[in-house]
Amino acid sequence: MKVRAVYALILLLAALPWFIGSRYIFHIATMITIMIPLVLGMHLMVRIGQLSLAHPAFWGLGAYASALLTMRLGMPPLLSLLVGAAVPSLVALAVGPIFLRIKGVFFVLLTFAFGEIVDLIFQEWTGLFGGNSGLYGIPKFSILGLRLTQIPHYYVLGLIAAILVYLLMRAIERSDVGAILESLNEDEMLSRSMGANALAWRVAAFVVSAFAAGISGGIYAFYIGFLSPDPFGFQTIVDLIVMVTVGGAGSVLGPVLGAIVTVPLPELLRDAREYQLMIYGVCLIGFMKFAKQGLISFIVDKRRGA
Amino acid sequence: MPHKGVARGETAVIAQMIVNGLLGGLIYVIMALGFTLIFGIMRIVNFAHGEFYMLGAVGVLVLFGNFGMNYFVAVVVAGLLTGALGVIAERVLFRSVVGEEMPGMIMSLGLSIILQSVVLLALGPEEQTVARPFSGIWRIAGAVVPWDRTVVSISAIIILVAFYIFLKFSRLGLAMQAVAQDPTTASLMGVESGTIYASAYGIACLLAGLGGALMAPIYTIGPYMGQSPMLKAFVVVVIGGLGSIPGAMLGGLLLGLTESVLATLMDSTTALIASFGVVLLVVLMRPNGLLGRTVR
Amino acid sequence: MTAPLLVVDSLTRRFGGLVAASDVSFTVAPGEIFGIIGPNGAGKTTLFNVIAGHYRPTAGRVSFEGKDISGHAADEVGRRGIARTFQAVHIFKNETVRANLHRAAVLARRHNPLTWLSRRPHATPDLEGTAAFLGLDMLLDNVAGSLAYGLQKTVGVGLAMMVGPKLMLMDEPAAGLNPSEKIAAAALIRRLRDERGISVLLVEHDMPLVMGICDRILVLNQGMPIALGTPADVKSDKSVIDAYLGEDYEFA
Ligand SMILES: Nc1ncnc2c1ncn2[C@@H]1O[C@H](COP(=O)(O)OP(=O)(O)O)[C@@H](O)[C@H]1O
Ligand SMILES: [Mg+2]
Repeated sequence: MKVRAVYALILLLAALPWFIGSRYIFHIATMITIMIPLVLGMHLMVRIGQLSLAHPAFWGLGAYASALLTMRLGMPPLLSLLVGAAVPSLVALAVGPIFLRIKGVFFVLLTFAFGEIVDLIFQEWTGLFGGNSGLYGIPKFSILGLRLTQIPHYYVLGLIAAILVYLLMRAIERSDVGAILESLNEDEMLSRSMGANALAWRVAAFVVSAFAAGISGGIYAFYIGFLSPDPFGFQTIVDLIVMVTVGGAGSVLGPVLGAIVTVPLPELLRDAREYQLMIYGVCLIGFMKFAKQGLISFIVDKRRGA
Repeated sequence: MPHKGVARGETAVIAQMIVNGLLGGLIYVIMALGFTLIFGIMRIVNFAHGEFYMLGAVGVLVLFGNFGMNYFVAVVVAGLLTGALGVIAERVLFRSVVGEEMPGMIMSLGLSIILQSVVLLALGPEEQTVARPFSGIWRIAGAVVPWDRTVVSISAIIILVAFYIFLKFSRLGLAMQAVAQDPTTASLMGVESGTIYASAYGIACLLAGLGGALMAPIYTIGPYMGQSPMLKAFVVVVIGGLGSIPGAMLGGLLLGLTESVLATLMDSTTALIASFGVVLLVVLMRPNGLLGRTVR
Repeated sequence: MTAPLLVVDSLTRRFGGLVAASDVSFTVAPGEIFGIIGPNGAGKTTLFNVIAGHYRPTAGRVSFEGKDISGHAADEVGRRGIARTFQAVHIFKNETVRANLHRAAVLARRHNPLTWLSRRPHATPDLEGTAAFLGLDMLLDNVAGSLAYGLQKTVGVGLAMMVGPKLMLMDEPAAGLNPSEKIAAAALIRRLRDERGISVLLVEHDMPLVMGICDRILVLNQGMPIALGTPADVKSDKSVIDAYLGEDYEFA
């Protein structure tokens, strides 16, 4: 029942911006909804026991791809959002069969190096990505002739995407696929002996999680209207790890809570980055020391997750 | 990398590449040894390793730069303070996540950004410098060798020899080596496992602190200066084989040389991409590292 | 003469310089319980791991139902109808017995995301029936890791059964069990064959158990096969007694 209360609280928080009506609150709320698919993508990998540091790069690939498809090819925004999100998925499909043979810290380093290369490409391939000076002039998002011009419009778009991705991840977790992924994570040798193709399932998870990151990136691109390589580097890795840790990896609801609690922080502490770092650090250490399962462990018991 | 393409003529260029590679590589070795020690013994990827390096440099900034202490004394004191902080961090934080890969990584990431923010609060975001205690150059085979880097390298070699003697001849060192080879041997060596963890983390931080202290006059000092050395250590250790001490030595020198060659042959971005590419390749082809054990 | 189910032909596996299994050949007939014995380190588990596809053979071949499966991946071997239990308990400890069995069926059926939708689910044994067969029906809702050791091993057998195998490789199923549990384990292995038609390849140290239920036995020593035959043949084999059983070994 506590889970219901949390859902109700989240719904209430989601409606809050309309009651307050401030643009600033709408902006923070929009950023939260944008981060949710991304952190849920990262979380899917954590669930299969692989800490992927490639996700900020997937996020960036989705962002740049969506923006460029609209700007260069004149694709309708909704289509370019979906096709743009497929780009990191395809990249994940290409590198996954190689990367996912590797486990543990090696995978961490591998995905980190991969992410750095992608970020360097964003910086250096100025002809396509605009380099460090950025990619300007991303058109507004539009759907069925409706142009999204105001922050609240993007909030609604973000909310819809966040809810859809959340439902998708929850469906995966509760389905046979979730059972397979968890089995592989718990005991790979046993699971394989029963016939599961471990690598194929891991790649599938990687592809889906990259798609979630790509969707998040696309919405981010249309919302901000300008892209630079900045957000797609190491700082976002830290943010995502903080979200998953604070919220808790044990359930799909965990990272959502983590995003809700964490995303406003840098916005609120915009002029005091040192305090933000301090709070992040204290959160990471505190949760690892006292509540490894994150906030979610106080709400749902471990067995039947939300 | 600094000092590139100074010398003319082919042998001089090659000599310069080797000199630069060795100068850079020695510091990587010092960083990587501690990093691999912590991983080998505690199964923790120490993302805070670079911050201990940074603290060593800050120590020299304060003791030598502000208080005018003798440079070498300042280096030793900064290193010892960093090591002591490492012992405390192990006892208070890391003891509870020994052997757990993911919590260990997250914990050390947390410590890393806390230390960054503390230094950011104390020093501000501006990069600082300390006066170079040594200046001038000398030449070998046409290659230019700055005196300050020479002093750093000689000190690094002394530290490495001392570390080697400690590992080979002290009871604690032998116990640490045994545990790094096979975690189940801890109790067999008759040394309490807590002592081994504390000394491993402490000594690793001492090494990182000394490395940062030595490098303080050479690079600028700031809260984020440790990130790159930490990454290099991570790379070296993966290339050399996680937990392998000879691997860290070989890997450090190899990375130093590779970087120096790449930096001579290409522009810095291409070199960076190429070096990450090398990392990708090594991890993919030899997931246990060049000198890592192939069987679990 | 029916065609053999499993043919192991001159199989060798090295680890660096160590030859863990050396030129091992034997066949398992349909409906047979075939035992492998040998002292610790003889290479029995290694042999299992090679047959099951966890290790590649250094040399030699394995075929199952007439098809070459040497060097096939573990999941492929599993899908062809070879299930296995492990020397150490391998089950999903945090899940209930029911969830364990369910997972096994799912893993066997939905082995690959691409065939997820298109593939006709192949029939897996009925969960309740399997639990009843194993005497686990009253424990279905207990968390597997909380059961007694012997029962955890039984759950391991249940996982292997849920795959619907024709051959089950069992690595020391009686190790760590008390005498009455050992008797039950022996009976269970027989019933697997008699009631479920599953052939069994068995590694076991408990001599009375092995001698009592196996149709034929292969004796390994330091990776080398030293005898192959019925329990009676093996018991009286001179080289077996010298190399392994020793003078003071008690036969049941
Ligand atoms: N993965 C491995 N790497 C190296 N040596 C191994 C490996 N697995 C088994 N061995 C060696 O092979 C030999 C046979 O072991 P094993 O098959 O487990 O014997 P058994 O099951 O008969 O007791 C032993 O000497 C063991 O140390
Ligand atoms: Mg064995």
